[in-house]
Amino acid sequence: MPEMAPLVLRNLSWALTTLLEIILLWYLVRKKLHRTHPAFFLYVLMAVAQSAIVALTYRLLEPRSPTAFGVAWATQAVVVFVRWLAVMEIAKKALAAYTGIWAMASRILIGIGVCALVYAVAAARLHWYLAVLNADRAVELCTAGFIVGMFLFVRYYGITMPPFDRMLAIGFCLYSCFEVINDSLYENWVYAAGALWSYLDLITYMASLILWIMAARNYSEATNTMTQPELLPEHYAELSQKLNSRLLVLNHRLDHLFRSEDRS
Amino acid sequence: MNLFLLAFIAVAVLLILLLAWAVRPPRKTLAAPDDIIETLSEKRHYERLPQILQCLRPEDTDFLHTRGYDNLVKRVRRERKRIALDYLRYLEQEYQLLLDASRVLAKVAPEVSALDEFERFRLNLRFVLYCRYLRWRLRLGLSPWTIFGILGDMEGNITLRLEAATTSIGERAAIASEFPLFLQNRGDDSK
Repeated sequence: MPEMAPLVLRNLSWALTTLLEIILLWYLVRKKLHRTHPAFFLYVLMAVAQSAIVALTYRLLEPRSPTAFGVAWATQAVVVFVRWLAVMEIAKKALAAYTGIWAMASRILIGIGVCALVYAVAAARLHWYLAVLNADRAVELCTAGFIVGMFLFVRYYGITMPPFDRMLAIGFCLYSCFEVINDSLYENWVYAAGALWSYLDLITYMASLILWIMAARNYSEATNTMTQPELLPEHYAELSQKLNSRLLVLNHRLDHLFRSEDRS
Repeated sequence: MNLFLLAFIAVAVLLILLLAWAVRPPRKTLAAPDDIIETLSEKRHYERLPQILQCLRPEDTDFLHTRGYDNLVKRVRRERKRIALDYLRYLEQEYQLLLDASRVLAKVAPEVSALDEFERFRLNLRFVLYCRYLRWRLRLGLSPWTIFGILGDMEGNITLRLEAATTSIGERAAIASEFPLFLQNRGDDSK
């Protein structure tokens, strides 16, 4: 939370971030992406709402008061949850067309996420005042691990991912990775780096927003419609037959080879 | 800065590097099912394995040695070694093709077993290592029998898996294509 930043600069950064979020929302609606990516649309909408709620809270209450702290982190929890939904939406769009791979990958990716979460919680220093920071870092690590895992699956199986989804995932992953770094730096220099941490947080978020705006601006339905793989039943049969005959030849050759080795 | 925090930063940097590696454009795209069928129907390299093994045996050139053609023996062995290395390269290409085929099958399969996929990854790693080891043994003039046998076995193993996968897919495809017909027949019967 950027409460440690000087007031004017903090307000300016917030305003700029909110402006970028609104531009992104405009592009999403204009390109009708709110229909195809409802979770991502909801995420950006929630981020705008969070800025408004936190700004209002800071205006009405003392920014360092427990109530303001509670409101800020409660809205952050909602935003993080919706962001997780957006990440799942992207992964599903990329892999769900491939039923078998999705069935396997979804379990492994969730496993990776849980491992990252457990690691982050287990490796964190157990101080009450760092609990929120640790939770934030754990969630970010979990998200980044999930997205990197998804990209590894996409690469291994040669799956073509729509460019827009690809950019969304890259944006989320970079943001999460830099958040892990930012949180760790902040934990080390908890007092000294407060303002710096706020700005690093905002800069990484702004970079992701710019990436998403560019992706939404360049979005075209033609490049983002992927043809699903199809293999006709006759192809299955043919492939099966070829492999059967190949297997027979291989077995025969290997039998012959082992027999000749035994003899020698 | 303590070790835990450094570890977090290292993990985050590692994830960024992995992301950069994973989003690179692939060097080659996987072959289409038709291409794989066509390639699989070509003559296979492993069929020549017995001849390759035979020509690498020292006994195969003993008669030249006993007759005093030492220079000729050296030349023949050098050429045969080169042929064996070429054979190994083709075997690797063939193995890669089988892996491609299994990925294409995984893309269209209604179920993919994680254990099978990990096993294939493990096999691939082992195959690559054995190939490198064998190549060096050949270059150093050491006996390659056992490793060649293992490599042939590994290729057979992956072929077996592919066969099982295609049979399962074929069965499912057949059921899926018969199901609407079954429903239609039931509909006709009830009229």
